[in-house]
Amino acid sequence: MHSDVTQFDLAAPPSLQAVLKQLAAEPGKHAPIAGGTEMMVALGAGRLQQRSLLSIQHLRELRFIRVEDRLLHIGSGTTFTDIRRSAEIAKHLPLLVQSASWTGSVANQNRGTIGGNICNASPAADTPPALLAYGATVTLVSASGERTMRYVDFHLGYKKTALRPDELLHSIHVPLVFGDHRQYIRKVGTRNAQAISKIALAAVAKVEEQRLADVRLGAASLTDRPVRCSATEAVLSGASLASDALEETIRLARAALAGETHAIDDIRSTARYRGAVAGNLLEEFLRSLAG
Amino acid sequence: MMQAAEKAPKPVKQLDHRYEGISKVTGKIKYAGEFSEPFAKSDLLYAYLVQSTIPSGDIVSIDRAAADNSAGVVTILTPFNAPKLSQAPPQPPARRNLSLLQDTSVSYNGQPIAVVVARSLDEAKSAAALLKVKYAPKPAKIGLKNRLAEARWPKDPGKEPAGNHRGDAQAGFSKATVIIENTYITPIQHHNPMEPHGTIAWWDGPKLNVYDSTQYITGVRQSLAKTLNIPVDFVHVVDPVVGGGFGSKGSMWSHVPLCAMAARITGKPVKLILEREQMFGPVGGRPSTVNKIKLGASADGKLLAMQQDVVMNASVMEDFVEHAEGPTKNLYMSSANSVSAKIVEANLGVSTFMRAPGEAPGTAVLEIAMDELAEKLNMDPVQLRLVNYAETDPSHDRPWTSKNLKDCYQQAADRFGWSKRNATPRSMSDGNAWIGYGMATATYPANRSAAMAIVRLLPGGRMFVGSGTQDLGTGTYTIMAQQAAAGLGIDPTLVEVKLGDSTLPKAPVSGGSQSSASVLPAIQDATSQLKLKLADLAIADAASPLHGLKTLDIDAKDGKLFNRNNPTQSDTLTDLIARNGNKPVEATGSAEPAESKDAMSSQSWGAVFAEVAVDKDTHMVKVRRIVATYDIGTLLNQKTGHNQLMGGIVWGISFALHEEAHIDSVYGRVVNESLAEYHVPVNADIGTIDVSTLNIPDLKFNPIGSRGIGEIGITGTAAAVANAIYNATGKRIREYPITPDKIMLA
Ligand SMILES: Cc1cc2nc3c(=O)[nH]c(=O)nc-3n(C[C@H](O)[C@H](O)[C@H](O)COP(=O)(O)OP(=O)(O)OC[C@H]3O[C@@H](n4cnc5c(N)ncnc54)[C@H](O)[C@@H]3O)c2cc1C
Repeated sequence: MHSDVTQFDLAAPPSLQAVLKQLAAEPGKHAPIAGGTEMMVALGAGRLQQRSLLSIQHLRELRFIRVEDRLLHIGSGTTFTDIRRSAEIAKHLPLLVQSASWTGSVANQNRGTIGGNICNASPAADTPPALLAYGATVTLVSASGERTMRYVDFHLGYKKTALRPDELLHSIHVPLVFGDHRQYIRKVGTRNAQAISKIALAAVAKVEEQRLADVRLGAASLTDRPVRCSATEAVLSGASLASDALEETIRLARAALAGETHAIDDIRSTARYRGAVAGNLLEEFLRSLAG
Repeated sequence: MMQAAEKAPKPVKQLDHRYEGISKVTGKIKYAGEFSEPFAKSDLLYAYLVQSTIPSGDIVSIDRAAADNSAGVVTILTPFNAPKLSQAPPQPPARRNLSLLQDTSVSYNGQPIAVVVARSLDEAKSAAALLKVKYAPKPAKIGLKNRLAEARWPKDPGKEPAGNHRGDAQAGFSKATVIIENTYITPIQHHNPMEPHGTIAWWDGPKLNVYDSTQYITGVRQSLAKTLNIPVDFVHVVDPVVGGGFGSKGSMWSHVPLCAMAARITGKPVKLILEREQMFGPVGGRPSTVNKIKLGASADGKLLAMQQDVVMNASVMEDFVEHAEGPTKNLYMSSANSVSAKIVEANLGVSTFMRAPGEAPGTAVLEIAMDELAEKLNMDPVQLRLVNYAETDPSHDRPWTSKNLKDCYQQAADRFGWSKRNATPRSMSDGNAWIGYGMATATYPANRSAAMAIVRLLPGGRMFVGSGTQDLGTGTYTIMAQQAAAGLGIDPTLVEVKLGDSTLPKAPVSGGSQSSASVLPAIQDATSQLKLKLADLAIADAASPLHGLKTLDIDAKDGKLFNRNNPTQSDTLTDLIARNGNKPVEATGSAEPAESKDAMSSQSWGAVFAEVAVDKDTHMVKVRRIVATYDIGTLLNQKTGHNQLMGGIVWGISFALHEEAHIDSVYGRVVNESLAEYHVPVNADIGTIDVSTLNIPDLKFNPIGSRGIGEIGITGTAAAVANAIYNATGKRIREYPITPDKIMLA
């Protein structure tokens, strides 16, 4: 059933501090709204719990991209379009640019933010696999201070995150250590654009003398949340890509991936398809490294 | 050639652009829901349709206290207070079995059960959410594939009989050297034109006015009069442009009379626009079809017998038959055919016509079976179709008015490069993708009904043409302007066109690809009458250079009347009308199918070739190219005609790969009732589409030679894509849509 928009309040506090103050004063009462591309859908469908929305879309404090201390810092209010236009991100984090480019439509990318994408915590969201593979950290802020955590620890379950009701996601940080890594990302949707992923895989790895090192895999739509596939990474760590070992490396990696993911059946796809194609994508990545 | 005997019509000057194009892109022309006159805009009330949330049962009570007290609410119509109406039995397309709050029964999930009327749409919607409906549920009939044993004959199959036999199919199969026998399935699909259904209604004393998004203003007018028990003359329906209809707007659905009822009760103009999710149930859809097809052929490919038994879902409210068996009766010359179409009742909304009803799913399934037969015979698929080419109509044993399908196969195959195809699956690849080629035949019947038109010569040599037809975005305005202009030999840019108003002379439903074939002959007749009147005017006018000539000696060209025997003797239309005191001269015309129409069959044809790339890892399909050639009679306008064919092809690709309504197995609701989940292709899914037409007039069908173009594009395309996927992957998917999951699991 639909919501009655007249029953909702929307305020745009002048500063980040003002927003945090209000969130702290009445925890759980207000919901931050950034681009609104998730929130407005939820509102239309009558799924929005809170009646009071605090806009953070206009906060310059949350919209930035900068390199500092060998880290790339991205404000949570950065839009997909900002990401697609950033020379810094293009240079250091091509997988993030890729994933931003196939998130929704152009209109969506102009409004939607990376913060909203992460905080909404859909298992099918497009930027998390890249951020997981890049080993990002996130900074959360509240009126009482800030904390930084590994992004992989941010997702606690289906649509559950580590955010407290008085907190906002402030920014995302990625170490600039991928100059020597090979990088891979692929999204499989129900059509060739504007589709929610049936499955997506992002991967980075170093190849040293035909052996894999520092393998990091992030996936979407394979479990109840965006995941880092650490069991598969462990199997691949130090594994050989030499022609006499490659098939065995692929076999072990596929088995490990199947073991640590639990895809579901829904109207967009079947568990069997997701499981098998995840293996195919991983194999495609490994073969591209060997080739 | 057959056509040689007929007098070729003079070529009609085409408009380069859509007549209403500029007013559309500048937002000037109004769609039904956009009008805010002649009533006072501040008077306008907004109605919101409340739908049932169970598939079967009765409404016990509706607690409306909270909703009544909600801000802005003016009235709420429910089965407990709605005015009683006389309901007549359905008579498609105009009249259907509607849900007009006349009783408390619920026949499907999503059925209209109340209407909330408020000062604003938001207020109406939020009050609707406050209604507390108590149901007494009954067991629901849901599902098709698991209930095939319940199939029964339809009560009223429509134009075609539900069962049909020609020759001895069993004997044919027993003689056959090669037999194909499989089950092919098409899903439920829902119409989703860009403009959803919508109505604005207001009363002027006893008279009802509606702006309604419809393919059939006359049908809405008659159905409203019948439903509300008022004289037809008291109903006025207006709809200058339709943002697509695809068949669902060929019938009047429940929201239209509900809107009129709300307007009568409130004494105010009321607007009721369906939301996107309300398009999935209350306004029709294409039923799912399960098709058992058996083909038997001799070793040289000659079809000895064809059999197709179709079972489809139909609403418990009304039988509607999707004649998917049609192509098996008339597409190829087989020694024998046997077909049947049966239905399984379900607690779903009423099914209805959707672009190329019958032929869209019919060709989608039969043309895969033909591909399988060709493979088993080790024969080229085009060759198989040529071997079984039907020179006459096998279903009625009579000639075609015109058929040039062989040329379509030839031309499209050449442009496509069909000769490069390797029949062995998985033999062509490009990078990480298997490449496949496939083809299929396209076909759709040509229809025509009685229609009328009015034309006027206006001051300045301009013209007016009007007919109570509709423009669904198909180009009706454009071709009406062209036809009227051709009648007096003036430039089509000088013509003003009016349609979509029930006060204009009557025209048929814009469905069955018949608008141009019906309306243009009426305009042709009207302009002939007008020319005679103008000639007589000139002859009687002492100041005219044509004064005193005989009517039959006068013709029109380049904005002038002239003496056929001495073309330099002429009178411009501008001068003539000026001397008439600038009083417009008017004529009406009408046309209807020839009485001899039952002596021949009229059908359009095409050949569709597809190239797909199927990713080896993900099995995602990209349709790289579609090349198609059609035999549709005269191509009336290059731009709007090709646009229709290409749009049909895009939908055919959608049929092949994307579209499917998922029905919840417990609640019977369409699960994916939004365009986020009910997928149609996006630009990235469509490669190049290369269409051409033979442009051979079919003058035995009508004096314009055009057979209609609105539906044939969707036919054949889905099977061409399916066959290309087989050629690419070696996997034969017999259930649409062909998703990556199905390809992988096959
Ligand atoms: C048509 C359409 C297509 C789409 N396609 C895709 C797609 O292909 N891929 C994809 O991944 N997504 C897609 N989306 C979803 C959506 O666009 C993205 O998830 C987007 O990133 C959401 O960002 P936003 O700024 O609009 O979030 P909002 O809607 O403003 O917020 C989303 C959630 O995050 C919370 N939130 C936002 N910012 C913060 C913050 N700084 N701190 C704490 N909480 C915060 C909000 O409270 C809310 O719960 C699509 C949406 C639509 C409508």
